[in-house]
Amino acid sequence: MESDAFNQGYLTTRVDVVVNWARSNSLMPMPMGLACCAIEMMAFASPKYDVARFGSEAMRFSPRQADLMIVAGWVSYKMAHAIRRVWDQMADPKWVIAMGACASSGGMHRCYGVVQGCDNFLPVDVYIPGCPPRPEAVIHALMDIQEKIRNEYSIARDGAVGEKHRSIEPVRPKIITPDGDAAITPDRLYGQK
Amino acid sequence: MPSEQQPTQPKTLPFLFTPVVSSDESAERENPHVKSTTIVPDVVSGLKERFGEAVRAASVYAGEHTVLIARDRLVEVCTYLKDELGFNFLSDLGGIDRFTDEERYEIFYNLVSIENEQRLRVKIRIDESDLEAPTLTDVFRAADWNERECYDMFGIRFVGHPDLRRMYMPEDFEYHPLRKEFPLLGIPGSLPLPPQSPEAGLTMDPFPAAHGSKPVKSFDEEPGEDLSEIRSEMPSERPDDK
Repeated sequence: MESDAFNQGYLTTRVDVVVNWARSNSLMPMPMGLACCAIEMMAFASPKYDVARFGSEAMRFSPRQADLMIVAGWVSYKMAHAIRRVWDQMADPKWVIAMGACASSGGMHRCYGVVQGCDNFLPVDVYIPGCPPRPEAVIHALMDIQEKIRNEYSIARDGAVGEKHRSIEPVRPKIITPDGDAAITPDRLYGQK
Repeated sequence: MPSEQQPTQPKTLPFLFTPVVSSDESAERENPHVKSTTIVPDVVSGLKERFGEAVRAASVYAGEHTVLIARDRLVEVCTYLKDELGFNFLSDLGGIDRFTDEERYEIFYNLVSIENEQRLRVKIRIDESDLEAPTLTDVFRAADWNERECYDMFGIRFVGHPDLRRMYMPEDFEYHPLRKEFPLLGIPGSLPLPPQSPEAGLTMDPFPAAHGSKPVKSFDEEPGEDLSEIRSEMPSERPDDK
């Protein structure tokens, strides 16, 4: 049956899959370079590490054209307002990477002026450890974001303007024991609920 | 009969990194890192001759000369140093909180003479009851931002400064963080974070994530025109909508 379809030159899929494929392979990062992590972020975009393989080589310095914010460096309480404003100007859908120890938790800056992790005011999707992280780690975080995008239901979520979004269960692997019952649930596996 | 496992007398461990207080100044003279540029006895003696009582003290530490100047004569002394003695470069300027009862704050000025290859440190002291210092921006333009930083961190007002605003902290911040009595982790509520929702005001909690707050990804759009009538005429394709 499937081979027949391929022989006839078409296949069927969900619109979400096509949209997510396009979105995940054309992420345009907004480089919020605040400290030394920004140097590693430049290496991440440079030819040696070549993030163009993942379609994210086009850094967009305008928030209107970006959909992935990389917070690279420590965030002061004064800067937090500017970052949140830039974030609010980015169009949906959008994602955040907290790059490095300082952006994730405040790092070594345990003092009055530095926000103890940019998740205090941003919905962070992926955290990268390291001080600063290697460009490979940033690429890994980008791949995590891509995986997250590929599991999204964006078309199914889109409703009329003003309509409340319905929450949809994320796609997770089902692990079935050999005798058939779902003894190991993903919730147990990931320790979430 | 004494056993071999008798505990020996505890020895005092030598902490070699502890600074040794001694009256012997040879260690300071024999500072291996000292450079000839910082040894300027002629300049110090010249200042003493010309200004007399205005030079309150002169000291040498680790091969570096420091003069303590009366606060009111600072501009006069620095003008003389710049015009007559060639100290044409203000390298650094900053405040020190000595945390003493009298003359609590200190401001240092690191001056460099580029052609003579000389360095001199000038200091003034300020009492807590009268937190004012003369500005040096009329002599050295480079003092501008350093004095703003010193005002931000210590609250010392520089009289005559052209633009005395805070350097680092927000304009509405009420404290001066480098003072000794300021807590290291800050004062809760003094530095707000952005709002967690459009209706909410500024987040006064300095650590909202630790208290369970989850910032929203994007704020919902404004409700558009009412589509309920149109939608009621449309056949519902999703049974769970009913």
